[in-house]
Amino acid sequence: MAGVSMKDIKLRIRSMESTKQITKAMEMVAASKLRRAQDNVTRSRPYFETLFDTVCEIAASSPAFTSPYLEEREVKKTCYVVIAGDRGLAGGYNHNVLKLAEAEMAGKDVTVVPIGKRCVENFRAHGFEILTDVWFEAGAVSVSDCFTMARDLCKRFLSGEFDEVNIVYTNFVSILVQQPAVMRVLPLHGTGEETDHVSETLYEPDSQELFGKIVPEYVGGLIYGALCECVASEQGARRTAMDSATKNAEEMIDDLSLKYNRARQGAITQEITEIVAGSNT
Amino acid sequence: MGTFDLQIVTPDGLMFSGQAQSLRVRTVEGDVCILPRHINLLTALGMGEAKIVADGKARSAACIGGMLSVMDNHVKLVPTTFEWADEIDAKRAEKAKNEAEEKLSHRDRLTDQELAIAEAKLKRALVRRSVANRK
Repeated sequence: MAGVSMKDIKLRIRSMESTKQITKAMEMVAASKLRRAQDNVTRSRPYFETLFDTVCEIAASSPAFTSPYLEEREVKKTCYVVIAGDRGLAGGYNHNVLKLAEAEMAGKDVTVVPIGKRCVENFRAHGFEILTDVWFEAGAVSVSDCFTMARDLCKRFLSGEFDEVNIVYTNFVSILVQQPAVMRVLPLHGTGEETDHVSETLYEPDSQELFGKIVPEYVGGLIYGALCECVASEQGARRTAMDSATKNAEEMIDDLSLKYNRARQGAITQEITEIVAGSNT
Repeated sequence: MGTFDLQIVTPDGLMFSGQAQSLRVRTVEGDVCILPRHINLLTALGMGEAKIVADGKARSAACIGGMLSVMDNHVKLVPTTFEWADEIDAKRAEKAKNEAEEKLSHRDRLTDQELAIAEAKLKRALVRRSVANRK
């Protein structure tokens, strides 16, 4: 009896150890990828912020001019660009962002541009209208892809295919904290402060044409920025998840080792008892 | 002569931040030169060379796409691509140019999208090459 359970325990310890090795390796891979992604985020953030601030400033400071990009239409259809991960085993990362996206979409007429394998699969399975799923892998999307996507979105927005564009992504707050968020991209909205630059500012060529040129760039920049944040968040979430998985495995191994030693001790004691009992008779 | 506050930010990071004496860039309408106390201006950038004079030293760069905003003596240059002349790999630009030309030589076989991409590549390569050769 004791022998069988000893063997069982030994097997379990061995399998726990190999699991631990895998999670440990994944943690280290995620950590090194995270470092690169984090650099990317810190490098692109000023761009992201300047772009956002400048366009907001223009939108706020120019109540005089109209642009289809500024116009608030009655929202019949909304487009959501949802960015999630390519792979699982990243704790709540994919789940959180998809949950937020679905909560946002509830009860609306939507079309989705999913980025990332998990995301595409999820929306396909739930029968959402998908605008395009060319951007299958979030890790493989480049800057120029973002701009192509943005031009396409702007064109469709102008033609009235949808009346609002939002990005659902995960904000990389720190290595330990990642926050899913929704950002409205189109139509543009000012910061609300009316400034008096209006009359003095020169627009070249004219405001209408200028907006036509700048807005797709702006949207592309925002998508790229969001993507950088997402990639970093995914690696961060994975690192944390794998770290705790490794710790759990260690705990279980300790626990099992203790049981194994007890079982072994029990077997020896029993043997001795048997021998003593045999020699006494 | 005074200076103005110049910031150049791209998706690859902050390229320049500080005081500058002049900035010349190519916009969609042609070259403009920004000097201190320029009127507030907002414009989209074209493809071409940018020349920045800061601390009495001139530096040029390849500057493609994006926008330029001048607000109360604060200049923000937000290009899609920005490379200082001394960081451009001239050989790579030359190679990219040849590849794009090669592709465009049988343009009837390309789709509209491929054609647009190849043309954009060629233009970028030409800008890079000319900036790199001028340094």
